[in-house]
Amino acid sequence: MVSAVVAVTLRELLRRRRALVLVVALPLAFYLARIDTTGQAIRFLALGVGWAVATLSLFTHVSSRDLDQRLAIVGASPSALVAGRQLALTATGLGLAGAYFALVALTQDVTHLWTVALLLGTSVLIAAPLGAAVSLLVPRELEGALALLSIMALQMLADPDGTGAKFLPLWSTREFTTYAVDPSGGADLTQGLLHFAAVAALAAVITWIAGVLRLRPRRLPVPSTR
Amino acid sequence: MTPAEEWSRRLDRSLIELGVEPAEARRLTEDSHEEARGAGADPSELYGPAAAYAVRLAQAVRTPQPRLSTMPAGEVVLRLSGVSKRYGRHTVFDNVSLTLRAGEVAAVVGANGCGKSTLLKICCGTTAPSGGVVERTARIGYAPQQGGVSGFLTPAEHFRLFGAVHGMGRRKAVSTGNQLCRRLGWRPRSGLSAARLSGGTQQKLNVVLSELNSPDLILLDEPYQGFDQDSYLDFWDQVLKWRDAGAGVLVVTHLLQDLERVDHLVELHRSEDQ
Repeated sequence: MVSAVVAVTLRELLRRRRALVLVVALPLAFYLARIDTTGQAIRFLALGVGWAVATLSLFTHVSSRDLDQRLAIVGASPSALVAGRQLALTATGLGLAGAYFALVALTQDVTHLWTVALLLGTSVLIAAPLGAAVSLLVPRELEGALALLSIMALQMLADPDGTGAKFLPLWSTREFTTYAVDPSGGADLTQGLLHFAAVAALAAVITWIAGVLRLRPRRLPVPSTR
Repeated sequence: MTPAEEWSRRLDRSLIELGVEPAEARRLTEDSHEEARGAGADPSELYGPAAAYAVRLAQAVRTPQPRLSTMPAGEVVLRLSGVSKRYGRHTVFDNVSLTLRAGEVAAVVGANGCGKSTLLKICCGTTAPSGGVVERTARIGYAPQQGGVSGFLTPAEHFRLFGAVHGMGRRKAVSTGNQLCRRLGWRPRSGLSAARLSGGTQQKLNVVLSELNSPDLILLDEPYQGFDQDSYLDFWDQVLKWRDAGAGVLVVTHLLQDLERVDHLVELHRSEDQ
């Protein structure tokens, strides 16, 4: 069942060609805007990838809700539906991250290149469930898109050294970026990894619980007598 | 090519498009051609336009459906006992009762806003009743009024997805889906996504998905919106075939012309009417 949902989600995504073009263009625009400063370019690229994947996830979950609810009514497991959608979105996001990793490798001189792969990958692994969680908690597209915009705008504007920034989902990208371009810059890779693990786990759990609660039909008793 | 031969060619093509097997279409076309020649008339004068005659012929030759339901005949598939729905102080409907058995059709009728779709959602389990008891068989099919299909997927991809839910193999799901489409006078074109189908054809896909697993109970929420007259007649024929095949069918409708065909009628009234 999960593989069938993954397959149809990937097909749906591939057929949203204009949306895919924008998903690719958004991180590129962020990257090009800061290309003269390696660290800033990489950090904004990661935020762009995260924003694009979260938005794709939000719209995918909102647009598939009626169909998924219908599937759940006739017997599909809500967990399998949520997992299938998430796996497809994560695979798409990792593909996007891979392409941008290649771009960074070709255009930037980075001390620890593998850390760029790590920060792009972790951005995707946070963004996919983040978009899904927003779509499940804020059920309409416009409100969800505005909620994501608020989160991402805060992420870009907040002082990364401030306490408040650590409560934002993609704070870990700053730690990874600093380590990638300047290993002696005082970045704490372990702290970044711990932050990523906590945020990704929280977003995934919220997605799963909200998804199952939203999709699962009430269990009705079978008629007992003729 | 003579006008009679041209008419026959159109009839043959239309029959195939309507889902009649090519050999059967050729036989019907030859019979019609011969009959017109025997009567000394042009087939278009005798039978009318080829496309319209093809629809009538296709309806006549469709094979009867094998037994659909796995339920013993007469077994209760849905029971509503004193079901009510309220939002705050507003009562949508109150004390609705129904016992629907395998091999029966029930229609839910009423004006807009009287809670027909809400009642169906209660039967599906997606909306909780405010009062009363709902008992329902587990193997159901469901065609919602809106949003039941994905605009980005082709009919075959829908069949594979729904088939996966019901544990059907990919090939079996597609062949079963295509076969059910033909019963509604539609032959899906491969590669065409649902968004590019007409509204009526999307609804046919919606209906076909509800019966893909040969359910014991089929719940339909005004599924014929966008159907043309022939498709509407095909739809009711199909409902009666489901009934004859042993399934229970609950149809939400606001059209009253077919109510003499149903076994049970649930009439809902707006709360201010009660």
